[in-house]
This record gives sequence, structure tokens and C-alpha cells, in this order.
Amino acid sequence: MRRLLYLLREALANVLTNRTTTVVAVATTAFTFACVGVFLLLYVNLRAMALSLEQDIQVMVYLQDDVTGQVKSEIEQQLKADRAVAALTFVSKEQALADFQVQFPAESHLLQGLGQNPLPASFVVTLAAESRSSDAMRRWADRTKLITGVGQVQYNQDWVEALAGMVKYIELAAIIVGVILSAASVTIIANTIRLALYSRREEIEILGMIGASTTFIRVPYLLEGAALGLLGSALSLVILKAGFELFRHEIRSASRFLGVDALLTFFPWEMCLVLVLVGLFLGCAGSFLSLLRFGEGRA
Amino acid sequence: MIQLFHVSKYYDRRLALSDITLEVGKGEFILLMGPSGAGKSTLLKLLIGAERPEEGQIFMQGRSLAKLRPSEIPLLRRKVGVVLQDFRLLPKKTVFDNVSLPLLVQGAANGEIRRKVTEALRAVGLDHKKDLFPPGLSTGEQQRICIARAIVNGPIVLLADEPTGNLDPDLTSEIIELFKSINARGTTVIVATHDPNVLAQVNRRVITLDHGKLVSNEPVSA
Repeated sequence: MRRLLYLLREALANVLTNRTTTVVAVATTAFTFACVGVFLLLYVNLRAMALSLEQDIQVMVYLQDDVTGQVKSEIEQQLKADRAVAALTFVSKEQALADFQVQFPAESHLLQGLGQNPLPASFVVTLAAESRSSDAMRRWADRTKLITGVGQVQYNQDWVEALAGMVKYIELAAIIVGVILSAASVTIIANTIRLALYSRREEIEILGMIGASTTFIRVPYLLEGAALGLLGSALSLVILKAGFELFRHEIRSASRFLGVDALLTFFPWEMCLVLVLVGLFLGCAGSFLSLLRFGEGRA
Repeated sequence: MIQLFHVSKYYDRRLALSDITLEVGKGEFILLMGPSGAGKSTLLKLLIGAERPEEGQIFMQGRSLAKLRPSEIPLLRRKVGVVLQDFRLLPKKTVFDNVSLPLLVQGAANGEIRRKVTEALRAVGLDHKKDLFPPGLSTGEQQRICIARAIVNGPIVLLADEPTGNLDPDLTSEIIELFKSINARGTTVIVATHDPNVLAQVNRRVITLDHGKLVSNEPVSA
């Protein structure tokens, strides 16, 4: 018990002895973690948005104008039998016209000038969850176009593909930035610990001389590194949360982004915990590197 | 208890110890004499495993130090008390905390630490100063605290490297008397010094080194 208290007291003494270096290390670690956090936050939100869009997306299967009732029924049977189709609704030419007039009342006179109803009948198809990725949708659309009586198959392909592509890039950027800045954090913490080691090298030599094990000598410095990493990552979450709330407030006050603020989410608490633990781990890694460099003989 | 067979040590090709063979028995008091650079400190460093010889073998209690794994070196050092000329006390820790360190690193219980530290401080006559900090003590007191730290865990051997180097003749006598009383309780004591005052006060076996070579190994004179 006394030994544990001694190790904790030494770790605290290390932190207090090098107060300025500790503050600088925590602040820089927090800043680097916050930079990674911005990318992660962007990734989490865009991914959630992409998933939500994929769930809402519907595919319009337009029929050729001259299809008979028999052909329409065959298309319907074929679509219902397709495992990729979760639900489908038939929209007749008349229904399509009525919907158009409701949705675009100002433009409805354009269609009146054409005499007959130019809008085609269609099936509005909701695809099964496993067929909602952009690749699966494209394959399904290409296949459906070949069915006799089908004119066109349309969905918001550009949107889905652009968003999926963006999510991939953000994911890649988050990984690259995360790795680089994590290495920077480890280096910053390693340097702080190295300063602590040099300022207390005489004490380390004395401990070695009186029979302290390597572990006993190293533990306070590992604890210090862990504390620096933990404090840095916790502070970065506070900075991120403040920035996130400010951003959401700005979005809410801008009328053209009406409703978008409700879609924005911060990290769930489980992820916050993981990020803090990652900080702790990187702090330990930084300490360990310094201890290795300081030398087996002394520490 | 301690045996050296043809031990040689070099620092960057410079010879520090050359072909030393000697034996130290249990409970002996030995003076290791010689001028600065004779190899006295190197010999003591070899005995605590801080350095390894390039040639030869060292045995302590029948165990070859060359065969110790790195993790076993702290265990060796717990059996050996070390007193240095510059005391090596931690200035920001109290006398009690300084003396308790060897017990703390071994994981001794609180009660045992209190009891043994009090005993060690009493042995050096400084139990009333346990709550003070080293910078507030005289050099003689600091050296006695250093000795208390070296004997607190009951080592089998006490190594002292120029322990009176910073002390005046009166304090030197005090410290030598302290070593004698520790030796009288059964601890082997090896004192490395170039101070003739120490030699005059200790009528024990004298080993003399010069330029890394063993030049004399005198038994106790009558």
C-alpha cells in the first residue's frame, strides 16, 4: 500500500515539478487530438447522413407508354419476386399527373398545353437494406431496365455515389491525419517525460543503487505519461463539444439550413470513452519510448 | 563470501583493474586503499553489478555475478549497502523517507518500515531528526543518514566509497566508529579510501590498489 502511494505521489510530483512543460504537453496533445476529432466528427456525421439517405432512397421504374395491363402485371410480378425489392407501389399516369399538379402548381399549365398526359406510369420501389449501396443500386437498375415494358429506371444516383465517395475520402483522411497527429502526440509526451527523467536522473540512480526494480523506477513515469494523454484527450473532447455546439447554433440560426441541425450528432459516450482511453494508451506509449531511450541501466 | 578471480576491467581500452584476485570473508572489515584513479571505485561498482568485468569472475555468497540476469541485479543490490562520498540523499524527502527507500522498493509493510527505520536512525544517533530534510543537516549528519539508509535492510555487506572525503578529522573518527559498530554486528564492511587518517584508526586488513593493480593484501597487524 505504502509502495503504491509512493508511486502515485512520485507521478504527481513529476507533474507538479515540471508544471509548465506539463501544461504545454496537455495543451498541445489536446489540440492535436481535437484536429483528429474534427475529422472523426465529420466522418461520423456524413456516414450517418449517407445511411439515412440510403434508407430513404426510392427507385422509380417508369413503364413505356404503350404497355398493356398484361405486361404491367408481369412487370409487377417480376419485381415482387425480386429479393432486392422490399416494397413497391404502382403510380398510374393519372396519379402521376395529379401528384405533379400538387407538387408544382405553378408549372401545371405547361402540361395542359401538351393536350394528352405526358407522364408515364411507374412503380416506386424501395430496395432491401442489403441492396441500398450505390454499387448494388446501379447493378439492380441496369438489370431492371432489361425487363420488357420498362422504359427508364431512375434514382438519385449522383447524390448517393457522391456522398458514398465523400465518406470514403473523409474516412481515409481521418485515418491519415489520425496516424500523423497521434505520432505527434506520442512525441510530445515522450519529450515531456524525457525532461522529467533528466531532471530526476540522480534520484533514478539512487533508486537503482538501493535495489529498486526497473518496474518500480518506471511506473511513476508511465503513470505521468498516461495522465498527460488522458488529460489531453479529455480536454480535446471538451474543445470539440464546445465547437460542435457553436457550429450547431450557427446552423440553426441560418434559415437555409432549416432542420439540418437536428441531423448533426456528437460522439456517443462510448466513443468518447474510447477516445479518452486511446489518449491514455498513447501517453503510456510516449513514456515507454522515453524510458527505453533513457537506458535500461538507469531506468 | 566475496571472491574475485583474475578480474580485469577496461574503460575505452584504458585499464581500470588488472588481474585482481582476492577473497573477503564473512564479517571482515577491509580497507581498500590507493590514490585517486587506483581502481577502488571500479572495484566497488563491480561488486554491486553496476559494471561488468571484461575478464575474470566475481562470486558473492557462491553466486557468479556474471550469470545474474538483469532482473536479478536489484536483488543483489538489496543485500549490499552502499555509502558514497557525496551522500546521494534526496533533498526533497525527509530523513525518514530517505532511509525508508530501500525497504519501500522491496515492498516492506508499513509497520516493518517504521520499526527498521527507527532502529537504523537510532544506530547512527539521528532518530530525533527523522522529520527534517537533508539540506538542513550538517555534512556529518548527512553522511550518517546515508549510512542509516545503507544498513536499514540488514545488508550482508556494506560498501563505502570515500565516506570521509567531505568530513573533518573529528567527523571522520565518528564515521569510522560507526562502521566498526556495524561490523561488530556481523556485517562485512569494505571501505575504499585514500585518507591516511582512516588507516590510522582502523587496525584491520588493508588491500592496496595502484593503477588498477593489486599491490598489497596485508592481513590484520598484531
